[in-house]
Amino acid sequence: MSHPWPGYRYTGKLRPHYPLTPMRPVPGDIQRPDYADHPRGMSESEQFLKGTSQIKILCPEDIEGMRVVCKLAREVLDIAAMMVKPGVTTEEIDHAVHLACVARNCYPSPLNYYNFPKSCCTSINEVICHGIPDRRPLQDGDILNVDITVYHNGFHGDLNETFFVGEVEEGAKKLVQTTYECLMQAIDSVKPGVRYRELGNIIQKHAQANGFSVVRSYCGHGIHRLFHTAPNVPHYAKNKAVGVMKPGHVFTIEPMICEGGWQDETWPDGWTAVTRDGKWSAQFEHTLLVTEMGCEILTRRLEENGRAHFLNQM
Amino acid sequence: MDLQRHSKNTPKMFNICFYIMEDEDDCPELVPISAQPGPPAQQIPVTIITGYLGAGKTTLLNFILTEQHNKRIAVILNEFGEGSALEKSLAVSQAGELYEEWLELRNGCLCCSVKDNGLKAIENLMEKKGKFDYILLETTGLADPGAVASMFWVDAELGSDVYLDGIVTVIDAKYGLQQLNEDKANGLVNEAARQIALADLTIINKTDLVNKEELNQVRDTVRSINGLVKIVETQRARVDLSEVLDLHSFDSMDGAKLAEKLELAKPMRPHLDKSILTVTFEVAGELSEDALNAFIQDLLWEKKFCNKDGEPMTVIRLKGVVSFVGKAHQVMVQGVHELYEFNETPQLWEENLHVNRLVFIGRNLDKDVLQDHFVSTVVLKAETP
Repeated sequence: MSHPWPGYRYTGKLRPHYPLTPMRPVPGDIQRPDYADHPRGMSESEQFLKGTSQIKILCPEDIEGMRVVCKLAREVLDIAAMMVKPGVTTEEIDHAVHLACVARNCYPSPLNYYNFPKSCCTSINEVICHGIPDRRPLQDGDILNVDITVYHNGFHGDLNETFFVGEVEEGAKKLVQTTYECLMQAIDSVKPGVRYRELGNIIQKHAQANGFSVVRSYCGHGIHRLFHTAPNVPHYAKNKAVGVMKPGHVFTIEPMICEGGWQDETWPDGWTAVTRDGKWSAQFEHTLLVTEMGCEILTRRLEENGRAHFLNQM
Repeated sequence: MDLQRHSKNTPKMFNICFYIMEDEDDCPELVPISAQPGPPAQQIPVTIITGYLGAGKTTLLNFILTEQHNKRIAVILNEFGEGSALEKSLAVSQAGELYEEWLELRNGCLCCSVKDNGLKAIENLMEKKGKFDYILLETTGLADPGAVASMFWVDAELGSDVYLDGIVTVIDAKYGLQQLNEDKANGLVNEAARQIALADLTIINKTDLVNKEELNQVRDTVRSINGLVKIVETQRARVDLSEVLDLHSFDSMDGAKLAEKLELAKPMRPHLDKSILTVTFEVAGELSEDALNAFIQDLLWEKKFCNKDGEPMTVIRLKGVVSFVGKAHQVMVQGVHELYEFNETPQLWEENLHVNRLVFIGRNLDKDVLQDHFVSTVVLKAETP
């Protein structure tokens, strides 16, 4: 069923493919974040700190906890990457992700976060982020982003990559390549003393130089014992983000770059963010730890020299 | 036509006939045909109205609604509470009619989304139902209007349909002084004083209940807290609407007016120890933009500056007009708590002396410490008047 919302005018060609499989349970012996059992999926620990701009400086034990969880999150993403090919549905990828989390004693962070129904986000083509895995088979030529966050031993680790499905057009390849470069250039600038609001200047400059735009509605965020917390890291230029990087800060950078305009809207499911003009969007994300001299990419790939998966297909 | 004070749990709050908009529960959303938004042609001003319970906020809101009957005005009571509601009601007044709308506060991922839920809900509503001419947001007595203001003080780059026009504080002439003098334990800020500190306009209401001397005391206390705020005295919140609406307190439109206002800001002797007060200074010369950024960040974010007693300065509101080396236009500085920005105004310096004026409103402020640091680190090219 591809028309759950009669009257809704889609911005592009993508449609939801319902019904979704029921919410997958997580074994009781795996540690759960506070929102997992809240009826509306609200996180009281996050709400408590809502609006504060104080950025936590992690102690060595916490940093070790983050190293471990980010490595596990990377393993799960690599498993998802192996499945990406035409004909596979995003729900099948989500199922594999769910099992991979459980096998590693992790809770899949997106599950029930503000009632999100699945264990990861899968965003295809004009979907900017927060796509919900469903029955749609991937098509040759699609670009797919899989966003993984896992919760282990009290910490969250978050990363995402955009993959090619089969043979992808040159324009889309350029979009994905540029988006990756935006992320890596921003990461290159991370070190103590740099203002968080500077990252948006770097990202937008590179995106614009290649004729692309930067999504403004969603931003990077602090992450450790909370899924999303201070600092707020907008990806567009001239933002008012509060804070200066210090050793011990942990946060994500996750630029979403678009072929057309940056304006987004949300499907009636309350989650799926799409470009208003229906043109495609790509994203990449890492969780970073600020160190004395620069930063450590906690979610880096450990094989293939750390190359993103799409580079194998260029 | 009247708004009634209501409890948060009661959805229906008006005692007049109202026209309920269609039930949105099962109805799918219609996306307008013209889905291509350019830069907003006309942005809608948001005015935040704050003050203690009983000061006269509701009276003021009702007055604005009745006086501006040819405009479409949205009124939101009790700001957005603690984020657990999925819907929030909003009253719209148009052509003498008052009716209710619903804001859908989609929880979704309010975490990594840049725009506040409440702001998005308002924008969505306007997209579906048409734009308002004004939006008035009333906060509860204990809320920090700075936090509410920052919801609407969005980066220009976000292309929002709304802009923050100003913060209006209503204070009771009879009980206001008592509220301002209330000593808070543990160094907590006095909310009444904070509401004045953040105000662009203060309405001293119920002046008919006090004598001249009492009124002078209230006015002096307000002035000592906030050297910049416009003060209007009223009975029954009857005020000239041109004083309340279109304040443009956060944008560079009235760069010239701002410079004038700053010249007139009179710092007074603080009314109480540990109270909020206003500090201003002016220095002639041209500044380094980088150095001013560092100075403000040290002040607002790192809280590095201390007064002579070693207590860290806390700035609640910051306003100024400065001159950067290489920039012909006057630049406006605005700050609320930790958020701040620079905005180029249409005003040119031309042949005038480059007088940089900064006004700080907050606690434990020490003018000498601030000015010395400013002169030694931020001023690149000093000028002598």
